[in-house]
Amino acid sequence: MEIVEQLLDISGIGRNRMQLRWVSSAEGPLFADYITQFSDQTKELGPFDLKKFMLPLAAVERTLMSSRIRWLIGITRELTDFENVYHEKLEEEDYKRLLQQATEEEYHKAMIVEVLREGPLSVKEMAEKIRLPVYTISLRLNELERHGQAGLSGYDGGTPKFIGLAA
Amino acid sequence: MPDMKDEDIRIGVFICHCGSNIAGYLDMEELSEYAEKLPHVTFVQRNLYSCSEAGISEIKKGIMEHDLNRVIVASCTPRTHEPLFRSSCAEAGLNPYLFEMVNIRDQCSWVHMKEREDGTDKAKDQIRMGVAKAALLEPQEPIMSDVQIRALVIGGGISGMTAALSLANRGYEVVLVEKEKNLGGMLNQIYKLAPTMTDASALAEEKIRAVTGHPNITLFTGSKVNAAQGFIGKYQIDIETESGIKKIDFGVILIATGASVYTPEGLYGYDGQRIITQLEMERLLKKGLDQGIKNIVMIQCVGSRNEDRPYCSRICCQTAVKNAMLIKNQIPEAKISILYRDMQMYGVENEELFRDSKAKGIRYINYDSVQPPEVESDKVRVYHALLGREMLLPADLVVLSTPLIAHEDAVEISQLLRISIDENGFFLEGHVKLRPLDFATDGIFLCGSAHYPANIREAVAQGLGAASRASIPLSQGSVVVEPIISVLANEDACIACGLCVALCPYGALEIQKTEKGEKVHVIDVACKGCGCCAAACPQKALDITHFRDRQIFAVIEAGGAEAQ
Amino acid sequence: MSKQFKPKILTFLCNWCAYAAADSAGVSRLQYPPTTRVIRTMCSARVDPVFVVKGLKSGFDSVFVGG
Repeated sequence: MEIVEQLLDISGIGRNRMQLRWVSSAEGPLFADYITQFSDQTKELGPFDLKKFMLPLAAVERTLMSSRIRWLIGITRELTDFENVYHEKLEEEDYKRLLQQATEEEYHKAMIVEVLREGPLSVKEMAEKIRLPVYTISLRLNELERHGQAGLSGYDGGTPKFIGLAA
Repeated sequence: MPDMKDEDIRIGVFICHCGSNIAGYLDMEELSEYAEKLPHVTFVQRNLYSCSEAGISEIKKGIMEHDLNRVIVASCTPRTHEPLFRSSCAEAGLNPYLFEMVNIRDQCSWVHMKEREDGTDKAKDQIRMGVAKAALLEPQEPIMSDVQIRALVIGGGISGMTAALSLANRGYEVVLVEKEKNLGGMLNQIYKLAPTMTDASALAEEKIRAVTGHPNITLFTGSKVNAAQGFIGKYQIDIETESGIKKIDFGVILIATGASVYTPEGLYGYDGQRIITQLEMERLLKKGLDQGIKNIVMIQCVGSRNEDRPYCSRICCQTAVKNAMLIKNQIPEAKISILYRDMQMYGVENEELFRDSKAKGIRYINYDSVQPPEVESDKVRVYHALLGREMLLPADLVVLSTPLIAHEDAVEISQLLRISIDENGFFLEGHVKLRPLDFATDGIFLCGSAHYPANIREAVAQGLGAASRASIPLSQGSVVVEPIISVLANEDACIACGLCVALCPYGALEIQKTEKGEKVHVIDVACKGCGCCAAACPQKALDITHFRDRQIFAVIEAGGAEAQ
Repeated sequence: MSKQFKPKILTFLCNWCAYAAADSAGVSRLQYPPTTRVIRTMCSARVDPVFVVKGLKSGFDSVFVGG
């Protein structure tokens, strides 16, 4: 769920649209408090503007479905609590950093795939739409190409245009 | 029912007034009118009390007269009433898993008493969500599994022996595994038992004789459990005995591995000679005390209720008071001071013992953990908080009350059997009040100090209780498991990565060789339907019956839509 | 906005913990805002992160997970 929170942040939706709380069966009053607080919090945020966040939300979903992220979520305990076959154990902090980086990368890739659904784009156009540096787009696009999820569609003048490919 | 066409689905919605509990706060007319307009809903009825005999017969009549193949009751909480309504559906010939319950009382009318309109809107949404779920429900068959009529008891201390005898006396075959060469555990080291002051050895001998001579008990001493797999009814256990590995199947397992006494190395100058633990005190008492000992100081909470071990070991106060009384019996003129932080003397007998000890002249001095006592060569220095000054107590013998700590084997056993331990390393019960002697994993039970420091009486009571719990599946011979379980919904998608196997808290998943290569296999009876496998599966190959992805998606979508 | 904003919160509750807590809040008649729309799961582990996204996509304003 930390990853979902991080994704809500990067996508601009904001992690305060979600809340995870532990309540034991005996804690009715605590539950009522949590709901009251979270209702107020949601009220303050205002209605969720679905139209505005359609694209980032689609990218968040794509990221969460990506096998890299699902693997990393699932295997957390294995990696941090136990040693691997080489007797290495990941420190929780290191692991968190790794996970954050992976999440960001996957999210950017997901964004690229989502914007390419609308039609062929150049790297520069993608960078503008997603509001990311051209260099970052190039890196992620490269990875997508290697995995057969994006490809060159042609040239507009001298500028290469890319399209998304079904994985 | 995958082959059921959309238009064949006939949902009946029964809305309960619950007297005025619901009807007093929500607009019932509006609710039923609304429900009638929802897709697939063919029949809507309001009942004064759906759970009453009249209500139940209305539901059954509705199912038969209107040919309903899905039923929704919008009333109280499924946590209490779902079983009742499910069985009503079954009586009317409808598969009980084609029933869905909507909670419009406990989580609606009762908590939104002053918001009739918004509460009614919420109830409408919840009913709409229920209808969306109901349309996608599938019939399920209960899962039955045979139980191997044999119990494994791990640990031959007082609670383990008590449990083993109790089960054996009921006619069940019991295998008792004890790590040490002798039965008895901690009991062997204790002198006398409070409050009756009977000999611990007498109790130990009696139990050991009964266990060793019992025709239904097979005893393996000097042995330990080496490997374990399986689930309730069929646990396959490897026991490492003195004569090699024995592979035996069990229906149930009882954990009675006890605890260890903390050795206070480096605390208060502990040396095992003049500065000793309460357990070492018991041994001295057994031998008979040296009459030259005149002054004794006991210090409570040594190595407990601190940062490393924040818990109270519960039984050390009783032990200290009991041992102080026993010292008085052997050396009547001995001066005994007990330095304590708080006295934990729960229960009537302990209270009486405490009172008697004061009458006998045993002195109690409260100390603050910030300013703990200091042990010197022949005296103990303690700051008396009430008097506000330091006291010097002469001491020929200093006795440290150290806590029981989790047994060193607990971690290994918890990993072998996939059962939980708490933050202090003791085994953790399934529920503190509802399942205090069970583990969350079915078919495994818990008693004695393996769970938490227990005195002999408590260990015996828990041993009897755990045996009683364990005898339920043994006497029934089979277990019925709720068919809300994980299923491999998309076999082709499964890549046998094993992530779910590693994650499953119940050991309910395994990788099997199939014609299509290696695939995950769900052990129905072991699965609890928690769904963490389905939520984690990178391939989305696993799903949970009755809580399928598509069912939940449909409910989310229905809930998000605006009420018409 | 003529109508006051009434948030809708998609709420996942674990049958054994938070759902039971919600029931007990009801038994004690503790009042809280009628903003939740509850989905009961057998365990909060069932809540796939994707469910959160689905909720926001389906018209909910926020998502609460009670384990």
